Amino acid sequence: MKKKDEITDAETKTRLQNLGIHMVAEIDAGVSPSFEAPTRGSGNVTYDEKEKVLVLGDKVEKRIFLNVAQAKKFMQTVAIASKCKKFKEENLHTSIRGLFYQLKFSLGEDIEEDLFEEQEESNDLVEDLEVALDVKREDLNLSTDRKGVVAGPLIIRDKFGGAETTIDCSKQGRSGWMIPSDVDNGMEFIKCDADYVLVIEKDALWQRLNEDQFWRKENCIIITPKGQASRGCRRLIRKLADRGIPIYCFMDCDAWGWYIYWTIKTGSMNLAYLGANIATPEARFIGVTMKDIETYDFLKKLTIRAKEVDIKRAQEMLGYEWISRHKEWVEELKKVLDTKKKIEQDALQGPRLTFVGEYIRAKIKNKDFLP
Amino acid sequence: MAEDDIITAADGGIAADGGKPVTAKPQPGAVAAPVPATIRSSEHIFEEFREHSVAEFFKKNRQMLGFAGKVKSLTTVVHEAVTNSLDACEEAKILPSIYVKIENVNSHLKVQVEDNGPGIPEHYIGKALGQMLAGTKFHRYVQQRGQQGIGISGCIMFSQITTGKQTHVRSGTGNNKIYECDVSIDLKTNRPQVVSMIELPGTYRGLSVIGEYSEVKNDMSEYSPYEYLKATAMANPHTQITFVNPDGERTVFARASDVIPKKPAPAQPHPLGITTNDLIEQAHHSKERKLSSFLTQNFARVSDAKVDELKALCPGTNFDKMPRELKWDEAEAIVDAFKKIKWIAPSADPLRPIGKQQIEKAMKAVLNPEYMSVTERAPKVYRGGVPFMVEAAICYGGKSGRQSKEGIGLDTKRFANRAPLLFDAGGCAITEAVKTIDWGRYGLKNIDHMPVTLFINLVSVFIPYTGAGKQAVANEDEVIEELRFAIMEIARDLDRYISGKSKDEQREMKRKAILRYVKQIAGDLPYLSGKDLKSSELEKKLINLIENKYTKIFEHGRGGGTAAAAAEADEIAEEAAKQVKKAKKAAASAEKPKKTGKDGGEDDIEE
Repeated sequence: MKKKDEITDAETKTRLQNLGIHMVAEIDAGVSPSFEAPTRGSGNVTYDEKEKVLVLGDKVEKRIFLNVAQAKKFMQTVAIASKCKKFKEENLHTSIRGLFYQLKFSLGEDIEEDLFEEQEESNDLVEDLEVALDVKREDLNLSTDRKGVVAGPLIIRDKFGGAETTIDCSKQGRSGWMIPSDVDNGMEFIKCDADYVLVIEKDALWQRLNEDQFWRKENCIIITPKGQASRGCRRLIRKLADRGIPIYCFMDCDAWGWYIYWTIKTGSMNLAYLGANIATPEARFIGVTMKDIETYDFLKKLTIRAKEVDIKRAQEMLGYEWISRHKEWVEELKKVLDTKKKIEQDALQGPRLTFVGEYIRAKIKNKDFLP
Repeated sequence: MAEDDIITAADGGIAADGGKPVTAKPQPGAVAAPVPATIRSSEHIFEEFREHSVAEFFKKNRQMLGFAGKVKSLTTVVHEAVTNSLDACEEAKILPSIYVKIENVNSHLKVQVEDNGPGIPEHYIGKALGQMLAGTKFHRYVQQRGQQGIGISGCIMFSQITTGKQTHVRSGTGNNKIYECDVSIDLKTNRPQVVSMIELPGTYRGLSVIGEYSEVKNDMSEYSPYEYLKATAMANPHTQITFVNPDGERTVFARASDVIPKKPAPAQPHPLGITTNDLIEQAHHSKERKLSSFLTQNFARVSDAKVDELKALCPGTNFDKMPRELKWDEAEAIVDAFKKIKWIAPSADPLRPIGKQQIEKAMKAVLNPEYMSVTERAPKVYRGGVPFMVEAAICYGGKSGRQSKEGIGLDTKRFANRAPLLFDAGGCAITEAVKTIDWGRYGLKNIDHMPVTLFINLVSVFIPYTGAGKQAVANEDEVIEELRFAIMEIARDLDRYISGKSKDEQREMKRKAILRYVKQIAGDLPYLSGKDLKSSELEKKLINLIENKYTKIFEHGRGGGTAAAAAEADEIAEEAAKQVKKAKKAAASAEKPKKTGKDGGEDDIEE
């Protein structure tokens, strides 16, 4: 799949326009306007062996206006496409909610129906448009909620709203730099020479390492997605990996932690259409692991009983062929299933608060990762 | 009017069907003219009793003769007169035009029935109309309209005993002479009384009978004269019927066909359709000299060999004696023997169905249905030898169905040899057959609330009536089975039509649903495509597309038209696909469209 950061604003506009040209040609030819889009959904998601990411399969759906089941959605998609073209031309960004309000008008005096009733309707259609045009929503000037914080040796130039700002992520104090939804359009790395990137599941641990000036001592970039990684966050990790910087993930040893890790690494089912653009197969899992209990005796006392969801997730992961091929992961997950225990990353603060940094350093030095 | 026919009609079915006799009728006292010889000897004993017997009998047995209940009595009057008219016209090969008028006169109802038939010659008027069971020509074994009463003479008598009035008759045979007179029946002697006979000049041809009745009532129920005439029109598309009700409202059931039904072919009765009484009656009127030759000459399929079989089965009977000497117990033995012998089935040739085309015309004229299906089944036999056949039609929409307080619902119209069966529906094989149909199987689960009329005509030279009233068909297994087959056949057709129609309705809904979005999409496309286009033009094209795709099937008509239209649509689609390809190339797109993979979710693309 083509890397989407190569798509320019002009290219996105052309694709939007071609969508319209194609439909007009169909109408002139006396057939229903239509467009094709790869089928989303788990049935059409496969693991790409070469790219090592989850991608959409070959299944393509044709959306047709003259089909009563699709007519309304089709009309809505065209309306969204038209709006997005306008946003591109005006160089303005909005959220999906903003788009929803731009489109929430009545269909006509005699029609008791709005173009959109619920925002949820538009979410799905934006995804449709993304796959149909093979662009990201950020390319359509649609932003998502920002989530994720960065600190470390990284300088970025940000062109936005007609102004140009330089952001130095090493000078963001205790708060860090918040990752925007679009890290491609108008965003440029000026300086990026960290030794590695550390992705930390929890904001609390990120704050711990920030206070410890861990990133300065290690010459690394620390990022917290604050739970599940947003599109922008995942995209940023991908871009950093593109620079040849190793990516290490530091998560809880539980269902949620594993899920966040694998989403960063292979992408998710839901966003499989973005494929390699937001996945980072190079990422490694440094912990916390069940194996750590053997190394760090104090952890024995700090384990928590695994919840049903953790057990279920562990079983599920063993079923994913792209996970079960790694014997280290099989071993790890089986331990969870056997002991029915889990460990939170916060537990590493058990001996002393600064132990977290020591733990990470040791892991990286010994290359003690899970793949 | 041919005298014989009138009389046949008047004798209430003993002769007409060759079938079950009206058992109550041949009571010695009631029957005056053709009294069998064996009983005649004791006639004088009952002399005094006979003085009032006809009236007494009549009063007591009104119900049996159709004069029961005020509405039914009125309908019976109309029925007897109309049946006479239809039979007379058929005989004379005249397309019948019948005029029926019911008026309020004081507390009575005056009923006038006038036809354009052959009329009755002057000197036959009294005999033909004013004598009950007169001059019967027994056992004319033909398929005829079922007679339920005792003919027009019964009506004249009914008028007499309820109002004391005579019946006014006007007759013209088309020879420039018209006769008008008043007719009544001498109840003591069962002789016609014709008074005030006048002769007028004029070219009128036909018969007009005007009588006054009490103890009758006109309404709009399913037993009313109106319903009776409507049913008659359904089964007799060659007839024009005009009806004027007591409120002066006029209904015309227009003639729908110019084809006069073929005269029923006379046929000899088959032994299996014979009762003891039939046999006695016929034997006593036979001119044959031997019982054996009487049997071979008067009954179908009776050969000398069969007579030999009969002889073996009835050793106590002398087959060489005069037929008129046949005694009841001997006749009974012979009829029993008939049932033990294997017979060749009687010929189905005499069956005279209305015919598919004629029924279609009649239904169209009377109900103007949105859809109808008609079937004419092949002849079958019941009771091992009596030929019969079933004709049936199902009509949907238009004036089909019966309107009641609960709304519209299934209306079953029963007929036997074209004659409407209005009464005794409960005990009728036709009703039974309709009841046992699993309508749900034909998508007609709600048939009781649908505008559907079922028309069912049972055709046979011997209709197995349940009783003397001749208003219901007996539950013969073979008859019920055949009725069911006929109904199922046409129900399937209606199912197909209605499911096609509901598809049509769905199309219409889809059409409307999609049309709602045309304005919006036509508004967005010019900007999205960056082309200099008018939204109104795009809108027009899109509406055209939708109208083409969702045009109702039935506007094209069923059958050939649809196929042609579909083929045409395919061609257009193919041509369009080519143009799209061209257009795609022309639109210098950076993105080559991906291969199409249709998924199953597209519910109606291929329509």
